[in-house]
Formats: sequence, structure tokens, C-alpha cells
Amino acid sequence: MKTISGVVVGLLLVAALFLFYRFDPETQPLFPKCPFLLVTGYQCPGCGSQRALHSLLHADIVGALKQNAFMVVAIPYIFLGIYLQYLGGRRRNPELERIFYGRWSAIILLVVIFAYWVLRNLL
Amino acid sequence: MNRYFYIDTEGKQKGTFSPEELLQEHVKRDTLVWTQGMEQWRRADEVEELKFLFNNSSGFNRTAYPDQAGPYPPQTAQYAADSYRPMPRTWLVESILVTILPFILCSSFLSLLGIIGIVYAAQVESFYNRGDYAAAAESSRSAGKWTKIAMWIAIGWLLLIVIAIILFIIFVGSLAGLEELITT
Repeated sequence: MKTISGVVVGLLLVAALFLFYRFDPETQPLFPKCPFLLVTGYQCPGCGSQRALHSLLHADIVGALKQNAFMVVAIPYIFLGIYLQYLGGRRRNPELERIFYGRWSAIILLVVIFAYWVLRNLL
Repeated sequence: MNRYFYIDTEGKQKGTFSPEELLQEHVKRDTLVWTQGMEQWRRADEVEELKFLFNNSSGFNRTAYPDQAGPYPPQTAQYAADSYRPMPRTWLVESILVTILPFILCSSFLSLLGIIGIVYAAQVESFYNRGDYAAAAESSRSAGKWTKIAMWIAIGWLLLIVIAIILFIIFVGSLAGLEELITT
């Protein structure tokens, strides 16, 4: 059961990455739009992350940083979390979990998200 | 006496061993073990029959029952269960993931649920370190609840997006047919 769901999630991930590589969220209407931006006119912390992902997959790091700098940093962080939680990283590298997914890192993460949210709309 | 499989540090399954043999295998508290009749793999220190493996570090059994290899008297097992309780699952990694991942799906409202999860998850360790086991377990339950709620809504949202994309493709396809209808 665990391996089956692992395979399914893995396939979905590859399919999603292919979609983000092949199509540009900027011009294609297929991709979901941010409801927060539509309603308020302000960007949420995640706005631009699909475009940033597209740019990253095309090795355009500068473009990705402009579209959503937070996501550029967050994507490796997400993969680290997936490794720790689902690929046995917790047992092999417990010190990584303590540093990056400990109590204080969670609080710092929340502060960074809110700071990015406010600053990107002010600047 | 049951015979156990366990998962070693490399992630390989090994077995079978009797509880006494597990002692030789240097099984740790958080090593996952399985034996017939168990629904899933569990931490070794959660299995009643294996609890004695971890009492030695306290020195209690060594001194009290130096030569005894068999099952310990019930009051000893009780003592071990009270003195060591593993930290409840913190849910920190999962709750952080369900906070960040929705940003990519343009469903940042889900991140609010994830943040509730993070707040509870961060409390688990504080309460546990303070020795308040009941409060830690309660926070762990809440963290798990909010994380799971966020996760299931995210899965539902993902399905909606996939359905929307399929419908859109069918819609565009039908438009192409319409054009043909007009021109001919």
C-alpha cells in the first residue's frame, strides 16, 4: 500500500513537472489563478510560484527570483522535507531534521512568509 | 514468544528474531519492528514484549534481576512504561509541507490551516520537554488533525484542477469542431 501510493505520488509529481516545463503559466489559461490576488488585488506569498517553477525548469534563476524569490528557496526546502519524512531521511540524518524542521525553524519560516507577504506588496 | 522482523539503519528488512536475539542485534527504541498479528510496523519501544530491551540503560533491571532472562514481573514492566514515554509525533515536517505546498497550487487559503498545524506541532516538543506528557499528546492530536484536514482539501483541490484542465481541453476540442461546421 505504501509503495503503491509512493509510486502514484511520484508519477503525479513527474507529470506536474512536465506540465510546468512544457507550458508557460504566464500565457496558458490552464493553470489556476490566485483567488487572493483576484479578490484583493494584492499578491499572496505564493503568487508567481508557478511562473518561478517554469523559469527554474528552464534554468532561468534570475527570472524565477523576480517572480517569486521565496519559492526559489522553498523548493529545495520542500524536497528536504519530503526526503526526511517519506524517504527514510529522518533515521539517516536526524540532525538535518533538528536544524531545518525543528521548533525554531518553524517559527522562523512563519516570520519569513509573513515578512515576504508584506514586503512584496509594499516594494 | 513471537518472532520479529525489524528494519535496520539502511532501511533493509531483517528477520526473524526472538526478543532475546533482538538484543544482540542492537535494536534501538525507534527501530521499526513487525511480528505476526500487528497491523503495521511499530517502534520497538511501543511493543509490550520488547520493552525489556530498553530497560537496561536505566540500570534498574540489571541490578534488581541480574540473572533473569525470562519475562519480568509485572511491576517492573509498569515501572518501565511510566519512566520512559516516547515523544508524541510532532507533525512538524508534515504541517510545514502543507503550509508551503499550497502556494504553488494557488490555494494559499490552505496555508492558514497548515499554520494552525505548525503552531500545535511546535507546542508538542515544548510540552514534552517540560514533562507535561498529556498536553504534548493533546497538541500532537490537534497538529495531526489540522495537517490532515489541510492535506485532504489540497488533494480535493488538486483533483478539481485536473478535472478543470480536462474539461478545458475537451471544450477547446469541441470549438475546433464547431469551426469546421461553419466553414463547410
